[in-house]
Amino acid sequence: MIGHLTRSERQLTLYMLLAVVITGLAMLVAGKDDSLGVHGALVMVVGIAAIFGVIAEFFEPEPTENRLDSYYDEPSRIGIVFAMAWAAFGLFVGAWVAWQLAYPSLNFEAGWTSFGRLRPVHTTSVIFGFGGNALIATSFYVMQRTSRARIPDQISPLFIVFGYNLFCLLAVSGYMIGVTQSKEYAEPEWYADIWLVIVWVTYFVVYMRTLLHRKEPHIYVANWYYLAFVLIVAVLHIVNNLAVPVSFSSAKSYTIFAGVQDAMTQWWYGHNAVAFFLTAGFLGMMYYFLPKRAGRPLYSYRMSIISFWGITFFYLWAGSHHLHYTALPQWVQTLGMTFSVMLLVPSWTAAANALLTLNGAWHRVRDDATLRFMMVAAVFYGLTTFEGSFLAIRAVNSLSHYTDWTVGHVHAGALGWVAMITFGSIYAAVPWLWKRENMYSPRLVEVHFWLALAGTIVYVLAMWNSGIIQGLMWRTYASDGTLAYSFLDSLVVMHPYYIARAVGGTLFLIGALVGCYNIWMTVRAPRQPMAGPEADYPEPRVPVGSVPQAAE
Amino acid sequence: MFKALFTFHYWLERKAIGFVVAILMVSSVGGIVEIAPLFTIHQTVEAAPDMRLYTPLELAGRNIYVREGCYACHSQMIRTLRDEVERYGPYSLAVESKYDHPMLWGSKRTGPDLARIGNKYSDEWHVLHFIDPRALVPPSVMPSYARLLNNSLRTDDLGNHLTAQRAVGVPYSDEMIANARADAFGQANPDSPLSEGVSKRYGEATTVRPFDGKPDHLTEMDAIVAYLQILGRLTEAPYKTAATTGE
Amino acid sequence: MGVTHDALVWLAKSAGLFYLIGLSLLVLAYTFWPSNKTRFDRAAKSILDQEDRPCR
Repeated sequence: MIGHLTRSERQLTLYMLLAVVITGLAMLVAGKDDSLGVHGALVMVVGIAAIFGVIAEFFEPEPTENRLDSYYDEPSRIGIVFAMAWAAFGLFVGAWVAWQLAYPSLNFEAGWTSFGRLRPVHTTSVIFGFGGNALIATSFYVMQRTSRARIPDQISPLFIVFGYNLFCLLAVSGYMIGVTQSKEYAEPEWYADIWLVIVWVTYFVVYMRTLLHRKEPHIYVANWYYLAFVLIVAVLHIVNNLAVPVSFSSAKSYTIFAGVQDAMTQWWYGHNAVAFFLTAGFLGMMYYFLPKRAGRPLYSYRMSIISFWGITFFYLWAGSHHLHYTALPQWVQTLGMTFSVMLLVPSWTAAANALLTLNGAWHRVRDDATLRFMMVAAVFYGLTTFEGSFLAIRAVNSLSHYTDWTVGHVHAGALGWVAMITFGSIYAAVPWLWKRENMYSPRLVEVHFWLALAGTIVYVLAMWNSGIIQGLMWRTYASDGTLAYSFLDSLVVMHPYYIARAVGGTLFLIGALVGCYNIWMTVRAPRQPMAGPEADYPEPRVPVGSVPQAAE
Repeated sequence: MFKALFTFHYWLERKAIGFVVAILMVSSVGGIVEIAPLFTIHQTVEAAPDMRLYTPLELAGRNIYVREGCYACHSQMIRTLRDEVERYGPYSLAVESKYDHPMLWGSKRTGPDLARIGNKYSDEWHVLHFIDPRALVPPSVMPSYARLLNNSLRTDDLGNHLTAQRAVGVPYSDEMIANARADAFGQANPDSPLSEGVSKRYGEATTVRPFDGKPDHLTEMDAIVAYLQILGRLTEAPYKTAATTGE
Repeated sequence: MGVTHDALVWLAKSAGLFYLIGLSLLVLAYTFWPSNKTRFDRAAKSILDQEDRPCR
């Protein structure tokens, strides 16, 4: 993994890891009576393991002079392996908690397996573990190609990938031992948040440095999306996580915001995490991998510009639609609703642009499951953004809010759009990154595609039904003017839908496991010489068989 | 070589940074128009002079609520809709969560709303329900929290908790901070001499009860039940609003 | 403190609105400026070129 670093760079890596170990030790000593100490020990163990990893390769031959003649793809390869590992883990936890809602005894009565603790484990693993690693890996890949420039730094991209995964590990392990801020999608506590800021600022600097070294006069539109993702996620993360720790020996902190202010900040963050993490970043992915795989230029570059600025404009207003009919002032609710509806324009522009790009390549969509993943992702993106604008209307929201409909909507986006575009992009990128002719088994990609599609549809239909029934039952009046159903009545009706949802989630999980196997076998396959013009690739050192494993 | 590179790309560099500035300008519109006013939103929060603070025990219970992720399935925000008001009680006012760091309004009701759960059930009901939810409510899908009854409540850092709360704007007095630990013990043990201080510092309406039925052992169950029993009861304002508007 | 809620809301609804309209017009002008067309067309096709190594 460090074969491409010079001796002095390897030394520097060791010093950095030593700093990590010392930080872990400090956390362990300061927080010995607290969960903070557990995390200190964890940081130490990870740091020491990494030191051993570096020492094991320390005396390997140094890279040749021409390492700068090829793109720096090692961080992307590591990131993709991490992404798939997190996908398997996060989807497994998701399916598990889904089964728990149908059969509560499946938590086996342990504290860390209860729904409330595992739910953030699931969301963080899939959003930040799977999605985040995929975004980092593909962004490095795309920005180098579209800039025609190698990342100028050697160590920092590795620091970003491993540092980011340390953050994910702290977050997920924290929830299981009861460390959480309870801010949805921003649950990690103060020390993990500070660590993420360090990693993220490095990410931004690396991104900018590469762009500044670019040999293409124009910055390709995919980079715009990635850049907006990096930049605005930083702002959102820092503002929403402003907090005062109970003490420096405690994992617990209190957010500086209270009540209605905290609610608005939280959903300003929460909604824009959807916008700039789960939308902008993945649109960047789509705008590169979809045209590339289809072999056709973007249908309209101008449409992509319009939708970019539209999304950047409108999304930041829309957060308050999460708080309709609450104690939030009404003008803010109305503003949120208006802009949520207006968001439909740039969102559908992006979806239409993607689908129109496929015009003339539909035979490829038919034959190539990888491209079909991306096509279906664009369709789900269009459907989900339409549903999102619809659900943001106050009258609709009064029915849908607090119900499973919201859960169904989120998963239509997360499974149908985010996961599908990621799987498509990963299937496209893996052979390119590992210099293989093709995936190990295109038929298994096909199997994964149908499992993922079936799982998504079953999941979303189940949640639509349960959500709408729930919402209607809560507001139905009997003829004598009293509420017709108790809360429990609605819970009983949910049971079959919860089973169906768990089945859908399980299908999706199996699909992802098939994908992991396929990617693993592709990476392990002996390297074939490439035919055609690509045969003169410079030969970067590919560590076959030494693929890093995500720590879970 | 490096220098030549920089000169050649000088104008390009300006463009990339200009691009970052453009993203910030555009994305800040929403922030300026919508978010900035919200940082003054506490000025729009209703006055509720009778609003009291969470006692150390209730705050500890709230932290258990946070730790266990209860907010994933229970909201604490009754919307201004007729069916919600009839099902759960008067709609939530902004002032009720003005000391909530963080707010726990929630976003999903797999279980019912808890904004007005205080005083609705007895302490015994809550304890039994935590031990085995399905024994009391057969269709429930809530996990069991029986272990809270055996976990001793951590009290040594309660003073620090109150200090941190004060740092973010909750008006705990020096006396409250100094007596945080004693007050936690006192609130769950009415027969002990420590219990007097609780009502003296937090008001006569404070509930001082052996919440989990074991006055000699301060457990996490004491804390979470004390917290649930105060939900919706920190101020009488919402009930008065409901009466005057005829809701 | 000098900043009141009402004042900020007023500012948001007046200046914020013009800021929004102004930036929207700028974006539209940039997008449809005739001389930008060639650059955009070139960019759209550029990712399909062979990009086997960094250009140095």
